[in-house]
Amino acid sequence: MNPEPRTTPLYPRHRDAGANMGDFGGYRMPLWYPAGMRREHRAVILGAGLFDTSHMALLTVAGAGAHRLLQRTFTKDMDRVGPADRPLADGRCAYGAFLDSRGHVIDDAIVCRRGPEDYFVVVNAGMGPAVAGHLAAEAGASGLVVTDLTDRVAKLDLQGPASAWILGRVLEAPERAFQGLGYFGFKGHFDRRHPGAAAVHLDDGTPLLLSRTGYTGEFGFELFVEPEQAAALWDRLLAAGADFGLIPCGLAARDSLRAGAVLPLSHQDIGDWPFVHHPWPFALPYAPDGRTFTKDFIGAAALIQAAASAPHTLAFVGRDPRKVAAGPDTRVLDEVGRAIGTVLTCATDTAIGWVDGLVVSLASPGRPEGFDPKGLSCGFVRVERPLPAGSLLVLDDGRRRIEVAVAADIRPDRTARRSMAQMWG
Amino acid sequence: MKEINELNLPEDLRYADDHEWLRPLETAARIGISDYAQDQLGDIVYVELPAVGRQLAKGEEFGTVESVKAVSSLYMPVGGEVTAVNEQLAEAPELVNTDPYGQGWMIEVKVADPAEVDALMDRAAYLKALGG
Repeated sequence: MNPEPRTTPLYPRHRDAGANMGDFGGYRMPLWYPAGMRREHRAVILGAGLFDTSHMALLTVAGAGAHRLLQRTFTKDMDRVGPADRPLADGRCAYGAFLDSRGHVIDDAIVCRRGPEDYFVVVNAGMGPAVAGHLAAEAGASGLVVTDLTDRVAKLDLQGPASAWILGRVLEAPERAFQGLGYFGFKGHFDRRHPGAAAVHLDDGTPLLLSRTGYTGEFGFELFVEPEQAAALWDRLLAAGADFGLIPCGLAARDSLRAGAVLPLSHQDIGDWPFVHHPWPFALPYAPDGRTFTKDFIGAAALIQAAASAPHTLAFVGRDPRKVAAGPDTRVLDEVGRAIGTVLTCATDTAIGWVDGLVVSLASPGRPEGFDPKGLSCGFVRVERPLPAGSLLVLDDGRRRIEVAVAADIRPDRTARRSMAQMWG
Repeated sequence: MKEINELNLPEDLRYADDHEWLRPLETAARIGISDYAQDQLGDIVYVELPAVGRQLAKGEEFGTVESVKAVSSLYMPVGGEVTAVNEQLAEAPELVNTDPYGQGWMIEVKVADPAEVDALMDRAAYLKALGG
């Protein structure tokens, strides 16, 4: 029997707002609010949306050997990050995964470096104990400490092109907080006793950890605060953002936004199979040869060995909004009708449509006048062989067949990587 | 999610267990899904309806509504011939959410057996079935 789902500190807000609730990762979470998923999805593309992501877990890994432990357990090479292959700097984050010895995914994560031997690790809902246990076991009797802060920190994701304007209204000295805060950068601390907490405050003195990350593909922030501060921050942001079109958004819009942004859902698009041949090669420390790795880590040998036989995960985009059910019973058929795999995710990105053979977004500069797309199905398939972008596939769930094309990218003109100068000039 | 007492359930309609409604017209009956059903489904992004002229029995699938989460079947509350479908829903499926009893209607059928209409629930019985 499943235990009762847990709730986040914002549960009363969701209930009072009339959200349609569902269970996800062991938590009772909002799926959508009365505005509905389409409007929520569009708000994030055109203005901003606010998500309660307090179900996610935060760990700290601190003490002598922390860097070595992450080098051994995390797929990203912490000494070679970014286009220049430089060590991860203080105040910077990196995306990767923790694997078991078979190269299968325990969970994906964002690791944030606070100092040479001091890291935050952000993992998925309910995964705090598993990842913390894995890291502690690998650390052995060293002096470092792994702390699972599950349910001890709240997280709000403010996502969309208007995010900096909205956040700027509630921050103390926003120009200082935003200074130098590039994509995958972070500042501050949620614990006022921590010396790092001086860097970012709300104008009422509430300290927060402010990170230029998210799960929508759009410009925005993840805000970490103590659980007691979450409701006040939620209220203040919604009030400050009302004239920018800010609305609360649920997990349905989060799923459709991330699918269109080609971001994986852990334990659905990545999981209990080798973490190779997928749209996220940047999460692996590939050497210039594209086959071997720049460091050794748990799972590395298995991945190299699996390269010849492991399935391939590919993004796809459909012709219209129609979806199929994802799961092991839905077949992927190639051009000659042969079953070659299964569907991992199938969602509808409601901000995109086909125009003259190209996928165009509501935010695309070249969109036709009055462009009002119905959306396109999109997601990920896992198939037995690599296929080039443009390859046509049929997805068949037994009651419906849809035609889709393998895609190198899905929703165009995303804003996640834009600079603070562009978004808060 | 709407509370039971927030649901719009018109008095002059009949309701089926699968949350379709039926409005008796002069020579046919109009069918759609209830406010409860659209609220549970969330934003509807696609509606598939049958061809005019099809004969369908009570309980047979007449189409699908596609929401954020899933594709859901629509079942005939009564048997009969499909005499009209709401073509507007192809372009504007969201009408099922915004106006489920008006512009969000789905099909009209020539009822084969009027007793099947009488067997459907009235508002009070449907409310009770919803736990209200």
